Parts: sequence; C-alpha cells; structure tokens
Amino acid sequence: MTRRSRKSIWGKRSVTELLKVDKLWAGYGDAVVLEDISFTLEEGGSLALLGRNGMGKTTLLSTLMGAARYRSGTLEFAGKNLAVVSPHGRAHLGLGWVPQERDIFPSLTVEENLTVVACPGPWNLERIYDMFPRLKERRANMGNQLSGGEQQMLAMGRALMLNPRLLLLDEPMEGLAPLIVQELFAIIQRLTEEGGMGVILVEQHARQILPLTRRALVLERGRAVYNGDSETLLRDRALLDSWLGVASH
Amino acid sequence: MKAIDIIHSEHRALAAVLQALRFLLDEIGAGRLTPDPELLGYMIEYITQVPDKLHHPKEDEVLFRILRERVPEAAGLIDKLQADHVEGARHTGQLETALARYRSEGGPAFAAFETLARGYVDAMTRHIRLEEAELLPLARKGLSATDWAEIDAAFEANRDPWSGPTGEYRALYSRIVNLVPAPYGLGG
Repeated sequence: MTRRSRKSIWGKRSVTELLKVDKLWAGYGDAVVLEDISFTLEEGGSLALLGRNGMGKTTLLSTLMGAARYRSGTLEFAGKNLAVVSPHGRAHLGLGWVPQERDIFPSLTVEENLTVVACPGPWNLERIYDMFPRLKERRANMGNQLSGGEQQMLAMGRALMLNPRLLLLDEPMEGLAPLIVQELFAIIQRLTEEGGMGVILVEQHARQILPLTRRALVLERGRAVYNGDSETLLRDRALLDSWLGVASH
Repeated sequence: MKAIDIIHSEHRALAAVLQALRFLLDEIGAGRLTPDPELLGYMIEYITQVPDKLHHPKEDEVLFRILRERVPEAAGLIDKLQADHVEGARHTGQLETALARYRSEGGPAFAAFETLARGYVDAMTRHIRLEEAELLPLARKGLSATDWAEIDAAFEANRDPWSGPTGEYRALYSRIVNLVPAPYGLGG
C-alpha cells in the first residue's frame, strides 16, 4: 500500500494547523512519562506514532484525550488550549479515540453502538457501512457477539460517527490475524486518503504504516527522537532498525 | 525503492491468505469445519490471480531482469525464483481443476484438493521467504538509484496490491476476509 495524493471530502486541501504540541511534559500521578515532546499536525494530516513498547506512545494519546496527567507545555487543538478542557469536552471539540481496549458497548447492537454516539457531519451510518460492509451485515448483533476483528471495526466506526477532526488509533491491529490486519490497513489507507480528518496512528509495524502517513514521530524513553516526514524515515533502514528493531518490519 | 514496499505489501497480503487457507484445511481435517466451496473458490482465485497475473510478472519483467544484469552472482537465485513462478502457475491451474472436481463430485474428491493445496501453501511460503531473505537484500545492495527509478516506475504503474487494475482484487480479498471463520477472518 502506498500513499496517494490526498483529497478532502470537502474537495480542497487545507494546510491549517490542527494540533500543536510544544514542550509537553505528562505522565501518570507523580511519574513523568513524556518529556519535552513537540510536534504539529495540519488539518487532514496523518502521523505515524512509533516506538518500542513502553516508550510513551499510548501515554501521548491519553494525554491528548485527557486520560493522563498533563504537567506542562502547549497542547492546542484547533487553536484551543486542550489542557483546560475535560476529556468529555475534547471529544466534542473533535478528538476521536479508538483505544487498544476498543471499549464497545457489549449489551448494545452494532447499530446502537454506532448511533448512540453520533454527531452531525459527513460520517453517518450509510458511510460507515460503506467503509465497513461487515458491520452492516452484523448490525443487529450485540457487541459481545462480535469477533475481535469485528469489534475493532466497530470501535473505529463508532469513533468516526463522532465526526472527529482528528482520529487517534492506538494499535488497532493488536491481536488480530494477518488476514484481518491487511484488510484494516486498506481501510486506514482509505481514511488517510479521503477521510478529510487528521489521523494519528500508533502501530508496532512501522514499515506497514509509514507508507500510509505523511509525518512520523518516534518516541524513545518518553522523548521524541524523530519528528519528520514518513518517507524519509521509511528509506533509512539503519535509523528504523536502531529505534524500532524487529518491530519495524 | 517504492517497489520494495510494494513487494513487501503484496507478500504480506498473499501470506495472510495462505495462512488462512492452511487454517481452513487444518480445521476441515480436524472435523471442526466442513469445506465451503464458495470460500475455497475465492481463495484459489486470489492465489491464482494476484501472484500469477499481478505480482510475478512485475518481478520477472523488471526487477529480475535488471538485477540479473547488475548482479551476476544473483543469477542462480533468480533462476530458482523464476522456476518457482512457472511451477506456481502450473500448481494453481491444478488447484482450480481439483476444486472444480470437488464441486462436481463432492466429498471423496476433497482429499486430492487438500493435498495440492497444502503443497502449494508450503511451496509459496518458502518462495516468499526466499525472496524476503535473499533476493531483496541483494537488490538493495546491488542496484543503483537509477535502477530503482526504473523499477519503481514499473511497479507504481500498478502499485496497489489490494485493488488490481480495476479494483477486483480488493473486493476479492474483502470477500475472503468476511468468509474465513474467526479468529483468522470475520466469518461465523
């Protein structure tokens, strides 16, 4: 899968800065996990967030969503100071999060899971079912009757129903069989190319996601060791291997 | 070296289908599943069409040709891989015939299909590993930026392993994913 020129669903490309993180320090309780992190993401842009296990990737997403402890630095989303916005308020501002745990509602049907969180915008049931035909087939099934792959699709569909301006995907392929992983990569490729929203994607397999994203941020022990374009990182095997090891393959 | 990304990506997709086919054969052999001719047909179509019509021609006509010219010591390996391509096409033809026979004759004909399918999965898995472990490192080391520009251009002419020329392989792959039972696929 390789990147194509991106087209916004609204028909034109935007270069507006959507997310600005500058000198961010954050963690959990008294523990500092992220140190001095800086990066930006433009409206409709895509970012691969990479690093070995335990390097702070999930903490960074959690900090953006207000689920980790912000300590200092700039955290701006669409020009607003995120640090003073509640987690609930961040979702309303346009941050959509697909956590590793998926967090779907087990006692609601697929369709109820999707509609219960719906916000107005280009993503509606019809478009979700076009992106995930399997969810349409399973729309009357309860959340707890779905396989792992179906649950992941539902979690992604539910986040899209919020019509986010920025979608955060935390290791969406974790624990899934290769056949499903390749299918989800193809769907994520569609999202980054035609979704019209920003996407931050955390994944272990760097070589598979770098061709799908424009920018990349590599974390090592809570610090950013690479902040640049994905293409350059993809072409530097030595750099990739030194930061990511076998996970880069 | 976008061509290498495309080769990796096509290998991953093909390996995923092969792994799922092996899973199906194991489950059928253990009596936990009954053969689904529709699903098996889609899988055989995929492993026939994508390697033989999309993946191998690009390697044979562009990558192998240039690598053979630039890195003479790769000749033996390329000979082996090209022989695999020929054998693979013959093998998939046999698989199509065996599946058609199973469809018309039923149960007893499945054993012949299964033997052929397992042989194909093993051979293609070895082939992919050989390309990943030996061919691609040789190509990375031995080819120049000019060589890669030519190879990339040829590969990018049809760069999406999921879609195929008119999107047919993308749809075929999704049908397979939806029918293969969990946990390997999304099927019931």
